[in-house]
Amino acid sequence: MRTFSYVRADDVDAALRAITDEPNAKFLGGGTNLVDLMREDIERPDTVVDITRLPLAEVEELPDGGVRIGALLRNSHLAAHPVIRSRYPMVAQAVLSGASGQLRNMATVGGNLMQRTRCLYFYDDAAACNKREPGSGCAAIGGFSRSHAVLGASASCAATHPSDLCVALAALDAIVELRSSRGTRRVPLVDFHRMPGDTPEIETVLADDELITAVELPPPPSGVSRYRKVRDRASYAFALVSVAAALDVQDGVVSSIRLALGGVGTKPWRAYQAERALLGAPATEESFRAAARAELADAVSLPHNEFKIRLAESTIVAVLRGMS
Amino acid sequence: MRVKFTVNGEERTADDVWEGESLLYVLRERLGLPGAKNACEQGECGSCTVYLDDTPVCACLVAAGQVQDREVRTVEGLGSEEELDPVQQAFIERGAVQCGFCTPGLIVAAHDLIRRNPCPKDAEIREALAGNLCRCTGYEKIIDAVHTAAAHSRGEATS
Amino acid sequence: MTQMTRTSNPPLTTPITGGVGESPLRPDGALKVRGEFAYSSDLWADNMLWGVTLRTPHPYARIRSIDVGPALALPGVYAALTHEDVPGQNAYGLEHIDQPVLAVDVVRYQGEAVAIVAADHPETARRAAAAIVVDYEVLEPVDNAETAIFGEGVPKLHEGGNLVRYVPILFGDQDATAEVVVSGTYEVGMQDQAFLGPESGMAVPAEDGGVDLYVATQWLHVDQQQIAPALNLPQDKVRITLAGVGGAFGAREDLSMQVHACMLALHTNKPVKMVYTREESFFGHVHRHPAVMHYEHGADRDGKLVYVRAKMFLDGGAYASSTGAVVANAATLGVGPYNVPNVKIEGWGAYTNNPPCGAMRGFGAVQACFAYESQMDKLAEAIGVDPVEIRLRNALSEGSVMPTGQLVDSAAPVRELMERVRDKPMPPARTSEVDIRTMPGGASNTTHGEGVVRGVGYGVGIKNICFSEGFDDYSTARVRLEVIGGEPVAMVHTAAVEVGQGLVTLQAQIARTELGVQRVTIQPADTSVGSAGSTSASRQSYVTGGAVQSACAAVRAEVFDLARERFGVSDLALEGGKVVSASRGVLADLSDVLGDRAVEHTREYRHRPSFPIDPLTGQGNAHVQYGFAAHRAVVDVDVDLGLVRVVELACAQDVGKAMNPDAVIGQIQGGSAQGLGLAVMEEIQLSGAKIRNPSFTDYLIPTILDMPPMTIDVLELADPNAPYGLRGVGEPPTISSTPAIVAAIRDATKLALKRIPVRPEHITGT
Repeated sequence: MRTFSYVRADDVDAALRAITDEPNAKFLGGGTNLVDLMREDIERPDTVVDITRLPLAEVEELPDGGVRIGALLRNSHLAAHPVIRSRYPMVAQAVLSGASGQLRNMATVGGNLMQRTRCLYFYDDAAACNKREPGSGCAAIGGFSRSHAVLGASASCAATHPSDLCVALAALDAIVELRSSRGTRRVPLVDFHRMPGDTPEIETVLADDELITAVELPPPPSGVSRYRKVRDRASYAFALVSVAAALDVQDGVVSSIRLALGGVGTKPWRAYQAERALLGAPATEESFRAAARAELADAVSLPHNEFKIRLAESTIVAVLRGMS
Repeated sequence: MRVKFTVNGEERTADDVWEGESLLYVLRERLGLPGAKNACEQGECGSCTVYLDDTPVCACLVAAGQVQDREVRTVEGLGSEEELDPVQQAFIERGAVQCGFCTPGLIVAAHDLIRRNPCPKDAEIREALAGNLCRCTGYEKIIDAVHTAAAHSRGEATS
Repeated sequence: MTQMTRTSNPPLTTPITGGVGESPLRPDGALKVRGEFAYSSDLWADNMLWGVTLRTPHPYARIRSIDVGPALALPGVYAALTHEDVPGQNAYGLEHIDQPVLAVDVVRYQGEAVAIVAADHPETARRAAAAIVVDYEVLEPVDNAETAIFGEGVPKLHEGGNLVRYVPILFGDQDATAEVVVSGTYEVGMQDQAFLGPESGMAVPAEDGGVDLYVATQWLHVDQQQIAPALNLPQDKVRITLAGVGGAFGAREDLSMQVHACMLALHTNKPVKMVYTREESFFGHVHRHPAVMHYEHGADRDGKLVYVRAKMFLDGGAYASSTGAVVANAATLGVGPYNVPNVKIEGWGAYTNNPPCGAMRGFGAVQACFAYESQMDKLAEAIGVDPVEIRLRNALSEGSVMPTGQLVDSAAPVRELMERVRDKPMPPARTSEVDIRTMPGGASNTTHGEGVVRGVGYGVGIKNICFSEGFDDYSTARVRLEVIGGEPVAMVHTAAVEVGQGLVTLQAQIARTELGVQRVTIQPADTSVGSAGSTSASRQSYVTGGAVQSACAAVRAEVFDLARERFGVSDLALEGGKVVSASRGVLADLSDVLGDRAVEHTREYRHRPSFPIDPLTGQGNAHVQYGFAAHRAVVDVDVDLGLVRVVELACAQDVGKAMNPDAVIGQIQGGSAQGLGLAVMEEIQLSGAKIRNPSFTDYLIPTILDMPPMTIDVLELADPNAPYGLRGVGEPPTISSTPAIVAAIRDATKLALKRIPVRPEHITGT
């Protein structure tokens, strides 16, 4: 871990000033990812700006029927919030499926968006990693690749995005609000995270001087919604595959569908191709399987993660079948 | 840096704290409170569970500066000199302690569960304690202990 | 043990509570629940320095040079030491003295210690260690056991080649044939003990030039025997006191930071504390031997075993540790708790550049049990008989002969254990009203029942209790009886290591029963008393229990001498704090008889001898005692997604005498949990001899949501050779749980599943 300064911001403007004024500064929320990465000497900020006391932890119902979630709301509060539980159950389910109670009490919504991969080679400072050290190579691609992505990978990087919440947010067309001293902008969540391409070290569109202030959800899609996670033990583990789905069926036909995948993509994966195949199709297992296959058609496997392709298809089918 | 915060009801100050130290390190190595444990220091085991402003967290991932002016309660702050907290007492009585390394974290997590849910069912206990690893007991006697502690808190006789 | 013939008078003694056979609360419980119990990582001394180890990232490399200059240049660094600074012998080891304290010109596994640093803050020490420059010539690692031994042109990792030990077992007719033959190759991945308390301790330099070491370990005296020559000190100048142990399960039998901390302490003349990080811990201790086992079972049409042949390859990694004994166990116990008239087993333990392997709960018997129990199920299917029936037909019993030629000379209730788990009522079938938290996949809102199949499986195992093959296996206890505060108090002092199993509780129970006193104190375990041997092999209740019992008997005899002098009576007993006579009733308070006197005796206790096995035939009375346990596992498998939920584990185990019934249950539950972990989730992932998952993020052990309720039957069929008739408890439940769970998954999926841990993709296919 490097030596660094710790400063605390009491309001948003102070936070935005600190991030620009302090050299190589990073925002500190719950610390559940950043502190660990700093201890691993992967993140090396010279200054850490603690933003946990900023008044950005509210859930506000919006006039259009949507909801605005403050970026510093703790995961556990998000999952327990009555509006979220009743109107966006897949968000609550996604959050509760992740980490542990203690970690959910600490982790913030903004931090969840910013969390970095759990790739074993990213964490191994003796291994080549283009994300950690651009241009150094990727040891995962020729190595032990069981947890790596089958969608969105490049020759430089196949690291999986580990979030559960982001998968649900992707399915729900969430918007991320970013503020800097230059002003405020809004980015769809599906565009917030980047695929690795040639620059795996650039993971989001967040500028160096920007702070995530809120995540907004449009009114919820109709029908039943669910988040399901498949992993190596019953709890407290990252996804092998996860599925966020919202499905509405009218007269045996899919009238509304949202689908997003976790554990299989280099970013939270909105399954547009599956959605296109399903909308208007009969709500049968055949349709579900065809749609899943369509989404995974471009999946590229590495020696140890091939099973994820079939597992993703099976999970999609199982989730949709269980909802219809 | 200097960090001043309340620990187990007492105001404590730690000087010359390096920014990279965790709350866990400060408690254990600077404030003489080694109750919270360092089984992984990566947030993957729950052995460092303490109350931070009345909420159970993993102290190993709380940067020292973040606790300024806040309230921390550790396993050492449950019960009193003379008497154990019912959760502590139940853990001993029901044989839920073997090596005991996971015990402080589990006691804080169980303490939190019982005060929020005085009548927890098995499935609820399991879900609430899913963030605490134990390698010795196989967990069953821990679940027994939580039932005993919960019954005690409800004022019921325990068998 | 004292027995009283009752007279017609009511007993005038107050019965002692908390003796043998009861479940008194553990004496360290209050400290542990208060967070005040001093574990080895909780130690603190004024003025102390922090020690850190520099470890190599290469599984196999030559060291060209080491430059500690950059480390010493950092402020706050007090020492940076290499092999050149080892004061004495730069080598240690449990079976072979083959491991350097600090690497000289070669490193043989990823994580091998190359240098050590002491500084005034752990972060400073870490940075200093990282600043040390080591010039390596990286070599291609040897990462396969069979290749290491038999391959052409494979480098010799040690002087004597890559074979650590070869154990053949030849029994009966090597050419026997059978009507029904089933064979298979079974693989066990590398499991880790994953104790929660990290390797840690503190070394304090002493005025006399020696050192006082406070450490969590499993065997104080064997540590001392290795540390002293490394430090060039006589053994009595290396004084070890046991610090609180956060679990062990075999991982603390080998040295970790002991010599390193002592070296830094002696060099800097300050106390030095070392605490491994979790990541470092995965590199800092031995693991369970991964194994590849080729088995062939031959039986007649009725399923009676005719022969078992096996070849077992155990990968011992870079240093020998206890590989020799592990291979011997796997081989001698390699057919399981069954009567087999013709046996040929060959076990090989190899050196490779994989991480070193050694003791882990089960010690070779785990690997063998997975193989032979898988084979028994395969045989059952081939014969058309149910899996319990095939086991009953071949079950070992008292009077059976093991493949080593050794007679099973006490109760071996294999049949009864199987019948008990078979006859347990089945857990309720899944209903449509399902709590989703009880479905495979746990709490993350998983399946509602479609695609979920229930399976049932069985496993039964055998383990040797205590050390074998002629090892001089003993323990020592010092017991002192005196009056304190008007009451007779017994003090028990052993070097026996408490790792959580409840040995401190048991020692007090024995003293209470043997001396009839209520108050017993247990002294901290240290090297000022004789060796207690290792806390492993499920041996401590037996051997240290025997030593405490012996020392108490000597104390009691002396008290009887005093009483005889005074009262002229010989039919004496100690009960309820009093000296009583069968004929005359209560004679006096024990405290009265003792007066100012302290009666103290130290005794060594040895079990009956065991013997080496013949190096060519494997024949010999190698073992002292056997422990047996059987499991039934019920699982629900989501066959679409490959998710497994263990619904229930039933276990029946013979413990000879339940010395502390609650603690016995605790061992069975805990051991079964470790077996469940090996069955479905635990594996050190190696690629290119490197550990890919050195963290609890990626090395998964069961959470409370993974462990099912257990139903447990404890049998008490006394072993007449053992104190109180007891049998060791800790390991058997770890052995039969794994194959029972895998058998249940096979029952549900109809898949062969020859490798553990079983992963979702093994069930769904790719």
